[in-house]
Amino acid sequence: MHNNLDINVHHITRVEGHGNIVVNIKNGKIEKLQWQVPEAPRFFEAMVRGHSYQDIQTIVSRICGICSITHSLAATKAVEAALGIKVSEQADKLRILMHYSEQLQSHTLHVGYLAAPDFFGTPSVVPLVARAADAVKTIVKAHRIANNWSDLIAGRTTHPVTLIPGGLTRIPTEKQLRQLQQTLKDAVPDLKKIAEVVLSVAGNIPKFERPTEYVSLKQTTPPTYTFYHGGVTSNDNKGAALPIEKWHDVANEYMVEQSTAKWTKWHRDAYAVGALARFNNNADLLSPMAKDAAKMFGLQKGCCNPYMNTVAQLVECFHIVETSIDLIDQLLTRGLRPEKVVSSPKAGKGAGCVEAPRGILFHEYEFDKNGKCVAADICIPTNQNHANIQKDFEKLLPEILDQSEKDIRLKLEMLVRAYDPCISCSTHFLDVHFVR
Amino acid sequence: MTNQTHRNDVVIIGLGNLLLSDEGIGVHLIRRLSEHQDKFPLVDFIDAGTGGMNVLHLIANRKKAVIIDCAKMGKKPGTIKQFEPSDVQTTKTLTHFSLHEADILQIINLSKRLGECPDQIVIFGIEPESLELDQNLSKTLSDKIDLYMNAVCKSLS
Repeated sequence: MHNNLDINVHHITRVEGHGNIVVNIKNGKIEKLQWQVPEAPRFFEAMVRGHSYQDIQTIVSRICGICSITHSLAATKAVEAALGIKVSEQADKLRILMHYSEQLQSHTLHVGYLAAPDFFGTPSVVPLVARAADAVKTIVKAHRIANNWSDLIAGRTTHPVTLIPGGLTRIPTEKQLRQLQQTLKDAVPDLKKIAEVVLSVAGNIPKFERPTEYVSLKQTTPPTYTFYHGGVTSNDNKGAALPIEKWHDVANEYMVEQSTAKWTKWHRDAYAVGALARFNNNADLLSPMAKDAAKMFGLQKGCCNPYMNTVAQLVECFHIVETSIDLIDQLLTRGLRPEKVVSSPKAGKGAGCVEAPRGILFHEYEFDKNGKCVAADICIPTNQNHANIQKDFEKLLPEILDQSEKDIRLKLEMLVRAYDPCISCSTHFLDVHFVR
Repeated sequence: MTNQTHRNDVVIIGLGNLLLSDEGIGVHLIRRLSEHQDKFPLVDFIDAGTGGMNVLHLIANRKKAVIIDCAKMGKKPGTIKQFEPSDVQTTKTLTHFSLHEADILQIINLSKRLGECPDQIVIFGIEPESLELDQNLSKTLSDKIDLYMNAVCKSLS
């Protein structure tokens, strides 16, 4: 037990946003315990105001380098809702296939490059190559497959170019889809290898639980473990799902002193979004291989250990690959048809929602009669997790106070990492000094 | 990454965020350079945006990679510097909280450890004037685009 303890994981640069962990204990009493997000506000509305409805998805794709497809899809759905634009079944399936590619990109990146070093006890993925070269190479291979997959359907690995309101500007050939399907089938043994490696160090995943409200999409027609369609649900909402346009009633955004990012709450004082939320609300609908993977790790519906979010992501990787193999079958069986996309401007307001790899994402836009954007609102998953991280901290710290300062710090940092936050995606520039 | 079946030995990658003024200089330049792609048939031109870790795959097993990025180097805004990874040390503090943090020098280091790093990596750093929310470059940088184009093209010849 520490009588006095100061932990300050403090990283602030001029533009990049970072999260800070602050712990002050005096005379055995916790005086301060905060998850701070001093990120510069992102003026999403200013980015798109005055732009045509046809350009919104391209602009917002630049918000983020990890979730660019997700932002583009949420925006496109919102634009289509605002203007009453319909999408063909073929385009809908191809968009879901595109979305899956980004989920796999992000999940493999998070599990392999960010969480695995924690499990293996290395400071980052670079020294992990020396400790577990085969495992890192397998992760890199899986990540590369996901990137090439995005490239095929979205036209680029990041910042997609094939999405437009009403459909897609380009569709893959049947030959390309068949090749992708074979690649995904071949990737299954690699995923199993990754799962086995993570399982071998899973004993290092902290055992911590806090009853939590989990918010995610839920799709009932047809029942699907969804990342794309459906309404908003939570384990506190008695199985019911709210229509997307009611998202403000879910997020209930509010300001707090310790963060420049808005916090959210629904039925409780905080809620969590992300892979564990999706798992807890929809686990019965996972693919067979994903269910096997969950069983391997003892991950069960109702799990409220936030550290298990990383395992839920790994489980979702199996679902994504297995479901995509089936989705490609459906597309090939029907045969691909070229589509001409036509849309015209009109006044309207609409919301769009998809699951980003790190949780549910809301976009909302309003357009004038010429199709120019007059208002925009975006609520990102990471902001929806901030309050929950704070509540986790408040329960976790008293439970681990008898551990060393190093272990306390690591467990708090690992907790933040488990949420897979996007707290500094807007800039990435080099910051260097010359040594010769 | 363009959806191509053939991969050239040389790649030129523009990095940056187009929404934050000079942060996007790498992408602005790669777009301009792509207009002259026919002069460099053996080079792949890639707008990698803020793809961060994806650069690992874009450079893998190539002979040469040229990377253009906004760089805080303590120089006068608008200055372009050509250097190699070994010429610099990063002053960036990474929290390792988030996948969204990216340090190109760390990615190059990982590429080396994996044994797939190009023999030659050339980085063009351009000192920003503005990192404010704006989809246009500052006048200081936009006035120098031709200068930057010439410098980068020379490295491809």
